[in-house]
Amino acid sequence: MLSKLHHMYEKFEATIGSLKFAVIIIALFSLVMTVGTFVESYFGTEFAGRTVYKTWPFMLLQFFMFLSILFATYQRLPPKKRLYGFYVIHAGLIIIGVGSAITYLAGIDGNIHLPPNTPARQIMLSNDVLKIEFVNDEKVYTYNLPSAAFETHINHKFQEFELLDYLPYSEKVFTWKNELKSYPKTAPRHTSQYMIANAMVSEKILMSIHPEADDAKSNMSLGPLSVNYLPEALGPCFVKNNPSDVVVWNSTTSECFVPEDQGVSVEKTTAGNRFFVLKDNDKKRLLTFFPELSPWPVNKEMQVIQDSPYRVFSKQLFKSKPTLFVFGPYHAYFNKDENQWQGGLLEEKKSVELPWMGFELTLLQHQATKVPGFEATPIIPIQKNGEIIKGGTRALKIKIRTQEYWITNEKGLVLLVDGKKVELYLTKETLNLPFEFVLTNFKMDKDPGTNNPASYESFVRLFSEEGPSDHHVFMNNPLKYNGFTFYQASYSQDQQGNYSSTLTANVDQGRPLKYLGSLFLVFGAIWHYFLNRKRWKKKADLIATKDDTTFNKMNTESANA
Amino acid sequence: MHKLIFIISVLFSSTLFAQEPYFCSSELGKIPIQQGGRVKPLYVHANETIKYVTGEKKIGDYDAVTAFCLLSLQGMGLENSLTPTAKVEHVDLKKFLGMQPSDHTYSLKELSNQIQDIRLEWRQAEKDSSYQKSLSAVLGQVQLYNDIIAGNNWMIAEPAADGASWFPLVAFLTETKVAAKKASGSLTPFKDLLFESATFYSSKVSDQYTLEYHFAKAHLPGWAMLLSLLGLASLVLFKRFNIALIFALSAIGVETALIVFRIIISGRAPVTNMYETVLFSGWGALLLGLIIGHLKKEKAFVYVGLAYNTMTMMMMNFATGMLSDRISPLVPVLRDNFWLSTHVTSIIISYGALALSWVLANTVLIKRSFGGGINAEDERYFADLIYTCMKWGTVLLAGGVILGGVWADYSWGRFWGWDPKETWSLIVLMIYMAILHGRYTAWIPPKRFATLVAGAFMSVMMAWFGVNYILASGLHSYGFSEGGAIFLGSFFLIQISLILITGLKKNKLQRS
Repeated sequence: MLSKLHHMYEKFEATIGSLKFAVIIIALFSLVMTVGTFVESYFGTEFAGRTVYKTWPFMLLQFFMFLSILFATYQRLPPKKRLYGFYVIHAGLIIIGVGSAITYLAGIDGNIHLPPNTPARQIMLSNDVLKIEFVNDEKVYTYNLPSAAFETHINHKFQEFELLDYLPYSEKVFTWKNELKSYPKTAPRHTSQYMIANAMVSEKILMSIHPEADDAKSNMSLGPLSVNYLPEALGPCFVKNNPSDVVVWNSTTSECFVPEDQGVSVEKTTAGNRFFVLKDNDKKRLLTFFPELSPWPVNKEMQVIQDSPYRVFSKQLFKSKPTLFVFGPYHAYFNKDENQWQGGLLEEKKSVELPWMGFELTLLQHQATKVPGFEATPIIPIQKNGEIIKGGTRALKIKIRTQEYWITNEKGLVLLVDGKKVELYLTKETLNLPFEFVLTNFKMDKDPGTNNPASYESFVRLFSEEGPSDHHVFMNNPLKYNGFTFYQASYSQDQQGNYSSTLTANVDQGRPLKYLGSLFLVFGAIWHYFLNRKRWKKKADLIATKDDTTFNKMNTESANA
Repeated sequence: MHKLIFIISVLFSSTLFAQEPYFCSSELGKIPIQQGGRVKPLYVHANETIKYVTGEKKIGDYDAVTAFCLLSLQGMGLENSLTPTAKVEHVDLKKFLGMQPSDHTYSLKELSNQIQDIRLEWRQAEKDSSYQKSLSAVLGQVQLYNDIIAGNNWMIAEPAADGASWFPLVAFLTETKVAAKKASGSLTPFKDLLFESATFYSSKVSDQYTLEYHFAKAHLPGWAMLLSLLGLASLVLFKRFNIALIFALSAIGVETALIVFRIIISGRAPVTNMYETVLFSGWGALLLGLIIGHLKKEKAFVYVGLAYNTMTMMMMNFATGMLSDRISPLVPVLRDNFWLSTHVTSIIISYGALALSWVLANTVLIKRSFGGGINAEDERYFADLIYTCMKWGTVLLAGGVILGGVWADYSWGRFWGWDPKETWSLIVLMIYMAILHGRYTAWIPPKRFATLVAGAFMSVMMAWFGVNYILASGLHSYGFSEGGAIFLGSFFLIQISLILITGLKKNKLQRS
């Protein structure tokens, strides 16, 4: 039995250590790398790492290459003089392999971002994590997300948080969701999508007044034009050219009217402020409105009445600047040329003209109660000039009790679970250094007469147990401290022109071995190929010439002889 | 300004220089100019910009310097009779500009007027399409043209506290200065002012740009190509080895001068763009060919050295669209002379050595199929010749890859990051390693060896040009330039065809 095993091992060793196996494994290694470079070129460095370079089949391939080198060397022992160079080369490769394995298993590689004059000690590593932060208890739960390239089902439960699907590369796709809470029937909470376009540009805009719509706003500006989204019932009152330019809104009944409808006239105070008075029949009180000052009414003592259902809106404030009001299927604006309010009903998919720069407005869709939101869908990333231009969103589907949520690296989730605030977010794993950095100065030189950086340099102060010390980190001049090495990686500039610097931080225990192996490899190669020279004998002429001289006469003569 | 135009008109209507080219002449080429992040003679800058904008070396009868000067004077209100045109080749662009299919040029003045429309068309064109790229090219040309005719592209030195400040022509030639010069009795005040600036700069700051002027005027790449070509012809056509050797040594001399000049001008190892790597590999290959040839007493090495050297020199002289000879400042990460001059040079010389094995292998393939065949013993000897070059190439490449890893560790903190350029250099090394190991097995007999080596060089071309022209991503993207994909595609096509054709043809002197 033992001898059979021994025999099998010997056969294994002979096969792995053979020259043919070396040729196969080297060719296979080249082929996979070739595929990897194309994957990298189309889908980005990280994706190539996750599908090719850092996958277990490729690691296995490298391991077999290592075995092949090891066995091939072992089989050629005891040493023969002719093979000294060979031993040194292959020993070098083995040492490099061991060094790389140590780096892979124990090394640290990350970035540290240094804002100006702010202490920093946090290194951002490359692996993704989900953090669940219990704000009240000051506790953080971290879950390591897999380094996957495609959609992965996680199926992990932590308290009431159930982690479902993880999409390392995803795209946000718009969806309509049902509302989570219940609302009074008349409460306005509609959402609309419009297109504003002229010959040059077109923009789709999504506007909502739904309280659960986190991804849509009720006002926005498109260049000089501001767009306001208001409850649908207000629409008809806005296009009335009533002399007072005031619209009143009853939030309980969701109805609007203008003061003129009720025979109320708008007066002016001695200070010149416009005001009018309404009768609140339910509560038997008088409500005084100052439309230019506040939407809320005041009582006789000039105190704001909070429980009144009425709000007032002065259109006068929106006459000077281009302002578009949309109310779901209604729209209104002030036309300066014709000096009147215009607008009216919008039919779905039919455009109406606006008085600014040939713009047209189209209602694309309108939903009375549905909530606009985004679903993440898996996608293969696309890279361009070293940046991911598509699919750069990481997304995780998480179930909390009965409700499912998407969390992305762009947008986390804040929830109240049993009355306690919980924050969930996708981020990079971090590591705290045992010492602290401050970026005291950042210097950037430019090529004369251009804006191209010629060099960038960070001046940092390092605070450790031994006290502060100053260091200068720049390209090809790293800072070594406490096992860590810090390299100048990149920089950024804020709007005030202050520079922040980013350093690469790493710990590489395999470094000395890799250097040693490299030395072996180079000297071994020289030894093997140049010091082991066989006697050269000229045997044939690839190029025949008429004037054979000293340069090759001797050889041809000896060859002819 | 009005007064200045008045002076100009009075001056030019009352002297011998009454009309064009005013004071402009090729003589002005010696004046220093600051552009693109460094100081160089106007001769170099004018030739580069006129070539870029018009695709020609001259405009009408005027050489680049005179034309550049005349166009710049437009910024001061001085008209000229030049009708500069840009080259337009793209079919859709011709259609957009309303050109006839047979036309190849379009007035830059007209293009400048239509710049808004072109920009709009660019925005609407399909992203990254060849049409959009041709529109980008035209926009770039028009922008530079506009900069030149505004008189802003010609930067002239004036004394300043820390050496020199640079002013555009329109700001440099102020009316007070010209009037003062004229009052001092000068008949050619403009020219005198410009040459005064040159004298100041060369005496007070640096006169290195004058070296570049003489260098540019000497047209060394042309001479190198001629010498190399003559050497190759003497060897292959006229079968005169001694004459070929003299030409080879002269070519090495001229190329060494070319490299040394570029080192002095740029202050760094001459291996930072495609042009320089092609030059350096050709030079290294010829040098290696001569050295190995001398050591082994084998003229075949001189032949391959000359053959490959001729190819590189031809690329430098004719493939100017793909290989730009412009000397530009480096991106920060490359600014380390020690690593640049060890890592990159060893990789480039290794490519040169592998190119020698490639030329030899192809020669063997052709000789075998079309040159009357090769017998088994000769086949083994020729395989030894190929192997000798490959040996040099792989050892240098292995050293270069390792030095690259050490440099990457030194400046980025990691030996290896699977960046496409470094991965491809490793792929090349692995492919040659597979062949070297396979040579000891029955899989690669001498006659298959030549075929494999000829094919393996495609991996070198991929690592050298393909990563920049086809993959163009990752940390090494600073080497990116356009137009090489066709070159590379043609290379692969020709090499594969040659292997297939010679593989199908029978070797007359051997049983298969």
